[in-house]
Amino acid sequence: MRFLASVALTAVCAWGAPDFAGSQKFLETYCKNCHSGKSAVGGFRLEKVATQQSFETAAHDWNRLALRVRNGEMPPKGLPAPDLNAREEFAKYVDTTLRSTACASGIVPGPAPIRRLNRDEYTATVQDLLDIHLDIGHALPIDGAGGEGFDNAAETLFLSPLHSEKYMETAKLAMDFAAKEYKSRERILVAKPGPGVTPDQAARKILQAFLPRAFRRPVTEADLLPYLELFRAARKSGEDFEPAIFFALRGALVSPLFLFRTEPVDQVDNYALASRLSYFIWGSQPDELLTDLAASGKLQDPEVLRQMARRMLKHDRSWNLARRFTEQWLHTRELSGDKAPDAKLFPEYSKDEELRGDIRIQPQQFFREILVRNLSLLNLIDSDGTVATSNFSKHFGFKLAVRANASKQPQWVELPKDSNRGGLLGMPAVLAVSSYPYRTSPVLRGTWILDSLLGTPPPPPPANVPPLEEPAAGAAPTTVRERLEKHRANAVCASCHSRIDPLGFALENYDVIGRWRTEENGKPVDNSGEMTDGTKIQGPAALKAALMQHKDLFLRNLTNKLLGYALGRGLTLRDSCTVDAIVAEVKAKDYSAQALIESIVLSVPFRQKERPKEKKSS
Amino acid sequence: MKISRRTILRGAGVSLGLPWLEAMAATGDSTGKPPIRMAALYMPNGVNPWHWKPEGTGRDFQFSTTLKPLEDLKSQITVMTNLWNENSKGGDGHYVKEAAWLTCQTIKKTPGEDIANGVSVDQLAAQRIAGQTPLPSLELGVTPVAVGVDAVVGYTRVYGSHIAWSSPTTPLARELNPRSVYERLFRASSGPQGNEAKMDALLLDRVLGDAKKLRGQVGTADRVRLDEYLSVMRSLEERVQRASNSQQRTWKPRAAMDPKAIPTERPADHAEHVRLMLDMIATAFQTDTTRIATMMFGNAVSNVSFRFLEGVSAGHHDVSHHQKNEDKLRQYERISRWHVEQYAYLLRRLQSMKEGESTVLDNSMILFGSALSDGDRHSPRNLPLVLGGNAGGRINAGQHLVYAEDSPMSNLYVSMLDAFGTPVERFADSNGPLKGLLRA
Repeated sequence: MRFLASVALTAVCAWGAPDFAGSQKFLETYCKNCHSGKSAVGGFRLEKVATQQSFETAAHDWNRLALRVRNGEMPPKGLPAPDLNAREEFAKYVDTTLRSTACASGIVPGPAPIRRLNRDEYTATVQDLLDIHLDIGHALPIDGAGGEGFDNAAETLFLSPLHSEKYMETAKLAMDFAAKEYKSRERILVAKPGPGVTPDQAARKILQAFLPRAFRRPVTEADLLPYLELFRAARKSGEDFEPAIFFALRGALVSPLFLFRTEPVDQVDNYALASRLSYFIWGSQPDELLTDLAASGKLQDPEVLRQMARRMLKHDRSWNLARRFTEQWLHTRELSGDKAPDAKLFPEYSKDEELRGDIRIQPQQFFREILVRNLSLLNLIDSDGTVATSNFSKHFGFKLAVRANASKQPQWVELPKDSNRGGLLGMPAVLAVSSYPYRTSPVLRGTWILDSLLGTPPPPPPANVPPLEEPAAGAAPTTVRERLEKHRANAVCASCHSRIDPLGFALENYDVIGRWRTEENGKPVDNSGEMTDGTKIQGPAALKAALMQHKDLFLRNLTNKLLGYALGRGLTLRDSCTVDAIVAEVKAKDYSAQALIESIVLSVPFRQKERPKEKKSS
Repeated sequence: MKISRRTILRGAGVSLGLPWLEAMAATGDSTGKPPIRMAALYMPNGVNPWHWKPEGTGRDFQFSTTLKPLEDLKSQITVMTNLWNENSKGGDGHYVKEAAWLTCQTIKKTPGEDIANGVSVDQLAAQRIAGQTPLPSLELGVTPVAVGVDAVVGYTRVYGSHIAWSSPTTPLARELNPRSVYERLFRASSGPQGNEAKMDALLLDRVLGDAKKLRGQVGTADRVRLDEYLSVMRSLEERVQRASNSQQRTWKPRAAMDPKAIPTERPADHAEHVRLMLDMIATAFQTDTTRIATMMFGNAVSNVSFRFLEGVSAGHHDVSHHQKNEDKLRQYERISRWHVEQYAYLLRRLQSMKEGESTVLDNSMILFGSALSDGDRHSPRNLPLVLGGNAGGRINAGQHLVYAEDSPMSNLYVSMLDAFGTPVERFADSNGPLKGLLRA
């Protein structure tokens, strides 16, 4: 969910703390004319939100109305409207009250919708299950994303006719491939017909070993029987033993028990917990140890769970988490799409595949190093070291201390003082994805910081943005800064841009592909900006120092994102109590990266679920 | 490791599709008339409105700069002015418009947990003629699904990447790789039959059993997901069933696929990618592998770089926010015109495909347009829309039809569904058929 926390880095509010009476006065002043009585516009009546108790009983209404007020959608154009500060003060009060009300009754698990494996999970799972190394899911449609912005969100994992065809094809491809691989055969064909063993008995043995791994939980005789029948049918139609058993196993790869992460309706049982853990950290099925711990029930022990999480982070497979999470959290995945730097303008980037790869991997590996080394999460804001290869030396313009014998391997390097390369904001991938393909944009970079780092995206621009005043024909071309300054001279634009732009200006020393520059078009780069409270920010170091002042906002946002990723769903208002608790734990442990992972894994929504409310439908 | 394409074709490639190669009964329609096809090509970001509208009305109209590439197809196209999509007027500037382009519904504002739209016109048609062709429909695109939630406006980007919706909660995934589309068409029209298809059907039957069992064990919300599974797997099973049984095999391809026309897997650039996808629509329609297709030139808010066009220096979305800047307006027009050129290319391809006395274009309805008019204003009024082909003579093509301001675009869909042979009383907010479009 979107929390309504007000935009960070603003002047301290000059007005007093709002209260319930204040909120009612606000609504009465700006909303009551249309939203009361029987003929209330849009069917929304203020009577619904007239009591303190309504924060509990009509939380959804409060949330919606506060969002609309904050985004300037209400009151509608032409009617008396509060200014931005008043809007945010109101929205912040509603948000805080909603959260404290929701948490008053304690932490709850929240919903746990059924979720199919996404493309990446499907690929990794088939690979592990069959012990093959083949990008088996490449033909599957790419999944969209929802929830907290990730492609593992249950709510946006749809199924199209295209999926059904691809699942059938891929299952056949995978099984045909496994049937020829020595390692896979060893793994799968645990029995064969021979003296004293009928084909049927051998098939049953193979299925007994394979199906629990494929379905990630023990199977019953009734679960197994359809697959044995598939085997028998294939035999009957004249197939040899092997093709027949591989045919039956192919069925398992198309079964919903494989394609969906299934859990008991009202509890996260041992096997469900093992799957949750392994799909969170590894993006794939549980391994044998996890499965054994599930079988013995030990996994429910918090200490065991904690140890497992730690062990799993160290495993290579945690690359999956690092890659998929950071790419989507930071939006760097878009570097291979619309956000790719223009090939003609930046041949140094587009023509150098190695450098491109290094740039893309940098934030992922940086995040993983922080996790594995259990460093402070604040390194993400600023750090003394980074991940780099020798390719970065040229790109950064100074020599990096990479290991001579492995200079092309992305590795952790200490940075010289004042290198301006610490933290995420020193990374070319981040600087490029928050630019236009052909020029930098202080607006995009400022918005990126507010949204991706702090979790406080600015409200959308008003529907009819007044056009920028255009330079007269023949006038000297204006700089982006000049144009934006004009923009900010307009009060409507200024209310947001005075917060967004200075953050982006502080990064103007980096060009589109993240190279350091002191001049642009022959003019010296102006990397200064002034915040609404008069604070001057000049250059990346000052910006990072300013962000450090808001480190808890950053931590809260990161927690929201990672919890949403771990749960594979959007967070609800009631999850904010869980988030509060995790933030407090991580702070108490000096922002330790592993503390964040462990707190998530041990949290109530990760380990429990509530029985879904039955709706009247289908 | 990589495996060769040959392996794919030998292995998975042949497992699915549906053979029907031998001549059985005459195709689909018992009257012997060629089938009608329907496609919709979506262009993101609207158009430069000062260069879109043709001069004059009825048959006597002059092509605008942007529509000029269609000039030699004049007798085959219909330009419509003043249609709008009222249900997409609120919300944000892009997602609401794009997702509603073929549904005419107001999408629900959500980061994802309760997505809701309507059924799109193409899918309604596809559902009504289900089973008549090997593939129910073709959904194509050239850019991957936009990921994440647009936090600034509060919509999941899933909305911005889909125009085809088979149910209010199910957007259809698109194929992006031209070679995969080719292989899919190939398998669908000449895949396994007989015993192999029978075994596939059996396999699907078993997994459907798993799904039904599972459905009984989950809550109502999860049942929706499993119903989705059941629905797509069941329709695949039906297709495979038909393939396994020569009695049920009534379909036959109207043209053979050219095995040499296999497109590349990695188009060199955006322009080539688009062309190849349009070729796939032409192939699908010519062979009659499907009669329904949708294609997105880009997702909502697409900022694909058009610097490959001379004089264009920025991405599509950036340019569309021209703010009345003369140079940006010129670039914007150039990009819009490039899209019209691609559309004209498809129409000509279809025109070159003979079908007895007529051409495939004669028997098609190819809609082209955007869900916005002026991209700088995000307005769903007076949408840029062109319909190509005359649906077997049903459409009175060759006109510029100008309607009263704010006439519902959904009326167009009512008329298209009628011409397709799947008439409806109403579609979303329609208030009748689109006057003047169909021959009496």
